[in-house]
Amino acid sequence: MPQMGVSVAEGTVVAWHKRVGDWVNADEPLVEISTDKVDTEVPSPASGRVLEILADVEQTVAVGGLLARIGTDAVAGDPHPDEHLNGDSGDASPPSTQPEPAPSGQRGETAKAHSHHSPVVQRIARKEGIDLDRVSGTGRGGRVRKQDVLAFIEQRSAEPSNGSSQAPLHSDSPYREDTGERPAPAQPPVAGSGEQVERLSRMRRSIAEHMLHSLQVAAHCTSVSEADMSAIETERELLGLSYLPFIARCVIDALQAHPSLNATLDGEQLTRHRDVNLGIAVSLGEDGLIVPVIHRAQELSHQGLATRIGELAERARSGRLSPDEVHGGTFTITNPGSFGTLMSTPIINQPQVAILDLEAVVKRPVVVTDGAGRDSLAIRPMSYLCLSWDHRALDGALAAQFLGTLRRRIERWGDV
Amino acid sequence: MPEMTYLQAISDALREEMRADERVFVMGEDVGAFGGAFKVTDGLQDEFGSDRVMDTPLAESAILGTAVGAAVVGLRPVCEMQFADFISCGFDQLVNVAGKMHYRQGLAVPITVRLPSGGGFSGGPFHSQNPEAWFMHSPGIKVLAPSTAEDAKGLLISAIRDPNPVCFCEHKHLYRRVKGEVPEGLYETPMSARVARPGSDLVVIAYGAMVWSALEATEDLDGASIEVLDLRSLVPLDEAAILDSVARCSKVVVVDEANATCAAGAQVAALIAQRGFEDLDGPVVRVATPDVPIPFSPPLERAVLPQVDDIKEACRELLAY
Repeated sequence: MPQMGVSVAEGTVVAWHKRVGDWVNADEPLVEISTDKVDTEVPSPASGRVLEILADVEQTVAVGGLLARIGTDAVAGDPHPDEHLNGDSGDASPPSTQPEPAPSGQRGETAKAHSHHSPVVQRIARKEGIDLDRVSGTGRGGRVRKQDVLAFIEQRSAEPSNGSSQAPLHSDSPYREDTGERPAPAQPPVAGSGEQVERLSRMRRSIAEHMLHSLQVAAHCTSVSEADMSAIETERELLGLSYLPFIARCVIDALQAHPSLNATLDGEQLTRHRDVNLGIAVSLGEDGLIVPVIHRAQELSHQGLATRIGELAERARSGRLSPDEVHGGTFTITNPGSFGTLMSTPIINQPQVAILDLEAVVKRPVVVTDGAGRDSLAIRPMSYLCLSWDHRALDGALAAQFLGTLRRRIERWGDV
Repeated sequence: MPEMTYLQAISDALREEMRADERVFVMGEDVGAFGGAFKVTDGLQDEFGSDRVMDTPLAESAILGTAVGAAVVGLRPVCEMQFADFISCGFDQLVNVAGKMHYRQGLAVPITVRLPSGGGFSGGPFHSQNPEAWFMHSPGIKVLAPSTAEDAKGLLISAIRDPNPVCFCEHKHLYRRVKGEVPEGLYETPMSARVARPGSDLVVIAYGAMVWSALEATEDLDGASIEVLDLRSLVPLDEAAILDSVARCSKVVVVDEANATCAAGAQVAALIAQRGFEDLDGPVVRVATPDVPIPFSPPLERAVLPQVDDIKEACRELLAY
């Protein structure tokens, strides 16, 4: 900012005669400045290419303050940086003086890449989500070269927390001390070839909300017991059913023995329910999951439960569940499938107070004690019963008791 | 492993292959009794007789025409053009007859045409040319251009065994100036490129004598890590190796000793511009002889043929870009 008069201390930018990237000759008018004494055009102090404009229109700058940067080792005949933009449509059209809008060939990259960056620099910047304006160039005329981008990436990934006096952070902690330089808002990674970027579906968003909410309001604990499934095994095979209806029946019995787990918690209000409205989580593939409810499940035998589960699952998968069928649950069972996972820590289905997860049934060597108290090894189909429960509503002892009852029911299936 | 000159390696290839395969025979001007203008075939007529090492009239079209005929009936002629420049007299037999016979009639023409190419020793316009581009442009013909003794032997053996007509461009200025370890016995070198020196900041792509100039120019250039890719085979051109070097180095200088317009390097540059575009951090730079006949006068010849300093300068410019 030049001094326009003896008593003038600052000036306001009225208009720029040149844009970034334009060529300007020495003494050519570069910018118009307004002061309380005089409005005037400021000539360029040198010939070169305008690299940076640091004061916007309407901005007031003190005398001596920096207005713009001009690259004096640029070459006059070089095409304007904007003229490179249209070169990749394939035809060898001569550079025009008007910059053309970027062709659709520059597919939605969110990382800013100027047209005068070389293909490899643009490609790397796109892939790494780098704003090339932030990379200083060591090439001719300040050009950003490939090694400049690569160095920038290395430096970016090596940024440590600047020796704070606080206790040292865990190496995995994402917190980094504010170095004073505000980084650009994080760019989402841009889809390269082979990557798909999509917004979560409505179902996924709904599940996401529900899960997060549940974790936030409930004091989740998970207790695990294991049960020997051999008592169920024979009838199961005979009827051609999965374990689920049997376990479901045992769960209902256990809930009736421990009604505190057949409850819903609304704030500070705990409601123990008379009916067992059993929710069964049904997977809808990649789209998500839904929990249809078997109302008054206590009225059904294991076979009745099997039929009902099958019906509901089928309607769930074909999107034909009615709103009533997904409301009013008092307890949920989730059984992700026979993929071999052993244990899980399920998230409680609000506003219930507990949820049971059944994972794989695995043949294991176990110690069995016969009637005479003698121990021996046997091979039994074992399964872990994983109960997540809300510590606001109940304590570990009760959860353990419930699991104990459940286990006994399972292991004594068929006993009168 | 024995050390041999580039020339001895070529002789060795001929000798070994002729011993192993009785269909192979040599034809050319002064190749028999005299042992060849450059002595490549020295001693061969003594060993194999004049039926297999034939002195021909001064008639390149006859040499090539006879070779085509011999090849078609099952022999493996290796004909020599005394200087690569003289191939123009046999052009029609090579390009239109040999090159297209398989396409037209399904007949293989397994001839090898040895072409002592290149300048740098005041040979003048008719004894210094690099004619490979003429034959790269002709469908049906393979073109090889080794730069080391080991590759000279291996590629000549590969050429003789190839069922296609093969132009073997041996650089005569390398005959005695290049020495190296050459495996004994018979071996084939694949018709692919070779990384003469690996690097990361820039790659110089060259073939023949220019490989040595490139290596010398970039040995110690301002501390930069410069790769040198020796093409070795011009047809088939090792596109994968070229694009791989470009992907790693992003800056390319292509060197031709041949006249610039439409030289092998032009094809390489076009390939890179089309298929290596996303990897480039600068323009593809070419260093080549201008489109002039090669002068006899030593200072004039030095002014037109790419010198070590020319390659250095091109690399420096591009590195700074």
